[in-house]
Amino acid sequence: MIEPEVAEQLESPCSLLVGSVSAGGVPEATRGWGVEVLGPGRVRVLLAANAERTLANLEGGGAIALTTTNFVSLVSWQLKGRASGIVAATPADRIRYDAFCAGCLRILHEIEGTAEDVIARLVPVGIVACEMVVEQVFDQTPGPHAGARVAPVAG
Amino acid sequence: MAPDRGGLRLGDIAACFEGIVPAEIATASADGVPNVTHLSRVHMLDDERVALTNQFFSKTTRNLAENPLACVVVIDPTNYDSYRLLVQYERTERRGPLFERLRRDIDAIAALTGMEGVFKLRSADIYRVLELELVVAQAHVAAGT
Repeated sequence: MIEPEVAEQLESPCSLLVGSVSAGGVPEATRGWGVEVLGPGRVRVLLAANAERTLANLEGGGAIALTTTNFVSLVSWQLKGRASGIVAATPADRIRYDAFCAGCLRILHEIEGTAEDVIARLVPVGIVACEMVVEQVFDQTPGPHAGARVAPVAG
Repeated sequence: MAPDRGGLRLGDIAACFEGIVPAEIATASADGVPNVTHLSRVHMLDDERVALTNQFFSKTTRNLAENPLACVVVIDPTNYDSYRLLVQYERTERRGPLFERLRRDIDAIAALTGMEGVFKLRSADIYRVLELELVVAQAHVAAGT
């Protein structure tokens, strides 16, 4: 379901947006801080440890949307599915997180000219890991085709 | 839902609405499926309301027809502080002074990003801000704020 080009972007420094919704229907937005693609339909998303609303929404298998956008080309995909668990970050997660942050700071500095230490003020207090079962993938690149489903392909 | 802005006013974070750093918006369908995407700009109308431009974020639009709540995160380009807004859809404008002002803004963004012919304003959606809060990051903890 997750095509190689989508996986490559997910695991690169990119914009990661995470959407969730409470049982009462209140949507919540936060950022992702790195992704590991675990398989064709599973990813591990790093989230801010103090994103309490998001974490509460995702506990117990809440619905999740994950949008990845290339900072330069704006090529975007949105993955939708369900959280299958939130766990403490492992040493491997922290290595991925550090690489993700460093890459994002470098690219954003190159694009925007803003000092890296200013952009670094976005960095969260800590991270946790959320495993996501991916059920659908959508083309989210700005334009008239934004929102078109690319996986699973309709049979 | 009573407004809860934690002592913050939209005017306090006016820099977030200059369109320099893209914002994000999460919505949810009636059956609880979230959607999250970027916004090129959030416009502050007054201390109670913001406007979002609708070019082609069709899923967002469909969700808001079912569930009028949205979560918007904006960034202050001067210090990269993030702010979370919980907003509630109020109305849509497809003509008039506000629409024309936002259309000119969208046209300018399109020209700057090479998206002429792709970014085209369909409507200006007005939202009431229910909650406004700083997104606490490592920098705030380190500074003891």
